[in-house]
Amino acid sequence: MKGNKRTLAAVTAALSLLLCSCSSASDTATPHTVTLIAKSTQTEFWLSVFAGAEAAATEYNLDLNIIGPNTEEDYEAQNQMVAQAVEAGTDALVFSAIHYDNNAAAIDAAAQQGVKIVAIDSNVDSQAVSTYIGTDNYAAGQMAAQAALDRVEGQLHVGIINYDISSANGQERERGAVETFTRSGRAQVVSVINTLAEAHIAQTDTTALLTQHPEINVLLAFNEPTSVGAAKAIENRDDADNIFLVGFDSNVSTVDGLQNGTVDALIVQNPYAMGYLGVESAYKLLTGQSKDVTHTVDTSTQIVDRDNLFSMDSQKALFTFEQRGKSS
Amino acid sequence: MSKNVAQTGLRITTILVAMVVGVVAIILCCFLALFLNRYQDAMVQNARTTSVQAVSQVSTTVSNYLSDMRQAMELVEQSMWETDESRDELLSAFLEFRPDVVAVTSYSHDGQLLQCWSPGRTPKDNILQNLSFDLEKAQASQGPYMSAPHVESIFEGYYPWVVTMTTPLPQDGSAAWVSLDLSFSSISSYINNVSIGQRGYCFLMDGDGNMVYHPQQQLLYSGLKSEDTATLSQMEDGAWANDTVIYSLTSVEGSDWRVVGVSYVDELVNRNVSEMVHLSLLIAVMVLLAALFTSWLLSRLLSRPLRALESAMENFESDADHFDYYPVGGTREVQELSCSFGHMVMRIQQLMTTVREEEVNLRKTELKALQAQINPHFLYNTLDSIAWMCEQGRNADAVKMVHALARLFRISISKGHELIPISKEIEHAESYLQIQKYRYKNQFTYHFHVDPTCLNYLCNKITLQPIIENAINHGLDLMVDEGRIDVYVQPDGEDIIFRVEDNGVGMSQEQIVAILEHGPKERTGIGIRNVNDRLQIYFGKEYGLTITSKLDVGTCVEIRMPKLWEDSYEGK
Repeated sequence: MKGNKRTLAAVTAALSLLLCSCSSASDTATPHTVTLIAKSTQTEFWLSVFAGAEAAATEYNLDLNIIGPNTEEDYEAQNQMVAQAVEAGTDALVFSAIHYDNNAAAIDAAAQQGVKIVAIDSNVDSQAVSTYIGTDNYAAGQMAAQAALDRVEGQLHVGIINYDISSANGQERERGAVETFTRSGRAQVVSVINTLAEAHIAQTDTTALLTQHPEINVLLAFNEPTSVGAAKAIENRDDADNIFLVGFDSNVSTVDGLQNGTVDALIVQNPYAMGYLGVESAYKLLTGQSKDVTHTVDTSTQIVDRDNLFSMDSQKALFTFEQRGKSS
Repeated sequence: MSKNVAQTGLRITTILVAMVVGVVAIILCCFLALFLNRYQDAMVQNARTTSVQAVSQVSTTVSNYLSDMRQAMELVEQSMWETDESRDELLSAFLEFRPDVVAVTSYSHDGQLLQCWSPGRTPKDNILQNLSFDLEKAQASQGPYMSAPHVESIFEGYYPWVVTMTTPLPQDGSAAWVSLDLSFSSISSYINNVSIGQRGYCFLMDGDGNMVYHPQQQLLYSGLKSEDTATLSQMEDGAWANDTVIYSLTSVEGSDWRVVGVSYVDELVNRNVSEMVHLSLLIAVMVLLAALFTSWLLSRLLSRPLRALESAMENFESDADHFDYYPVGGTREVQELSCSFGHMVMRIQQLMTTVREEEVNLRKTELKALQAQINPHFLYNTLDSIAWMCEQGRNADAVKMVHALARLFRISISKGHELIPISKEIEHAESYLQIQKYRYKNQFTYHFHVDPTCLNYLCNKITLQPIIENAINHGLDLMVDEGRIDVYVQPDGEDIIFRVEDNGVGMSQEQIVAILEHGPKERTGIGIRNVNDRLQIYFGKEYGLTITSKLDVGTCVEIRMPKLWEDSYEGK
């Protein structure tokens, strides 16, 4: 009898265990909060990043906050935003650093609180960064220089219009470009200026540079506002035929410039992918899929010039698809 | 021995529970498998139907939109015959009314842009490339046609994605073609809101597999996502399912566009199926538990009384005499079984009592028969001795002998009682010894060592005499020296011990066994075995005779019997 009772109890226990495992409800946790801290909230580049981030947030059911400083040099505002976001209880930060070194402490402090860190576009000097998603900036710099070398004959006198000197990606691009020019043997970097990432200031600085160094026949501008500024400067000087401008990123004015000749080539990054993949990586980190997140993700870059401006690939790279249309 | 048999079989509880649960489990499994299989088929079919329905709705909507646009195109065509002013007026009203029309453009025979109407915008002076119009394609196509999606490239600083509907105009005007550039705003609002399941969606492609509109177009353009439109464009209309995705395709009436619905087997089918599996398992487990409990209950109802009966039988087997039977409850069959067993127990106990009584009676009769024929040889010899004593004038001895003989007979009859006081028994033994001593001419001496506390207890009559007779016949008769017989009577706890010792020739073990087993051969009188039998019938197996003997040293016979008072054993 005793043995029987024990067997019965065991069978009952086993069955109820099965029962429990069957009825375990699927979890419907509250959505994670992800904060995207950008370098700027104005440029088309960043708007495209935000569109990608929002698409990913919708797909993965995340609460996404997008913030950024007013100027692309204000790393202190970024640090404050990091601290505020952590205080507000964000689970992950998708971060683009204005200052490679000076943003590090804030990011480390956030990571200390258990916040997952994803770097996009511009990296920061922190071990806490789980993954960097963005352009291979050195290669992009090389690509820009090569675009000029391929299309301009004779001796190249290069002027480089870079933005904030402390930004990691700008410096990488510059290094790639300068080294490529040096290797070519027929190019000379006349001057490198670091201006602010605002079109009208870049325009002023470019004009000053061109006035100072009239021998310059190639200009490289390493992000969207500086490209717009440089294009404006060339247009105002009516110097489009003499100066070969290689810009970065897609902006209606640089695209217009490509068509009217002020801009000769654009290195187009993939901001939408940065935003999308950044938020997706944050989601993966938050849901324990860390092994699916690689240390570095290289988003594509593409050269667009006047000849391939309206090829399908260039159209897709340059022009954001307005999902909702003009009416909405 | 019943234990050994029981070990080989299984308990009825185990068998019953195992069988019921097993059968229920097998039936459940079969049903579940069948049901779930059917359910999955139904779910897949259902998912296909849902998908096809959703897609055909989108197709109808897009088709309506396109026919709407064709009507609009007719309006635009007609406006081409108006005067410039009224045409401008008409078209600006039209553009205001249709915000999804980005631009209306007209082209000359050689593909030059003639005029452009667009709200608030004028085309650039130098158009690098006009993506809205492709002369070769326009010449090749007979009627109106739709372009693939492209960027509007004729304006400065305005580059929306559009599709272009181009239609040729009759040959007599300056304009040969007129185009409408349509933004995706209308189409997107139709398509974005379509959901098939939770994650399913649909998109629009043209006959060559070019993407026209996708809810996640920018993801596609950014290279983060891709649709295998090349393969899809080869497929017929209808629903196509693989392991993970269900594609359903429908052509849009009046164009080469096709609507493709993408839905996920996982969420439409597998999730429901797995929910159903869970539910079914839950039910199965509950049914199994119920079956288990019921069968367990049932088997207990059956097996508990059976087991009670079994243990009753075991008890009866080990001690039939003192077994009290209490009937066992349970099912009717068991009750009947129990009842029969009760009858059997009663019957067996009755039989046992009868057998015992018969045995006692048998021994009594035997004793009486033996008493009746008490050794005539002994009587004859004794009477001969008495006669001889009288002849010699030893009257006093003769009188003693006659008295002893008389006492012997009186006690051995004892009014027919089987049990007599020990004092009487001793008297009887002494009378016998007296007679024998005369007969054997004082060849031996005898001594009684009787504890006086024992005298009033009862004992079986003629217990000592056969032992003493044996001692004289086997021990002392053959001796040359004077023999000696000692009779001891002592209490031993609740028992009384009689001991008869002689210093005769002794007996071998074989002789002892022979005496106890078979009794005296060819001899009359009451044998030692008879004494032993009577003691054991009366008092039980633990009482009776033990004989120890050494050759040439002597024999000792010990008799053990319980202390009995006269009134305590009246019945016997």
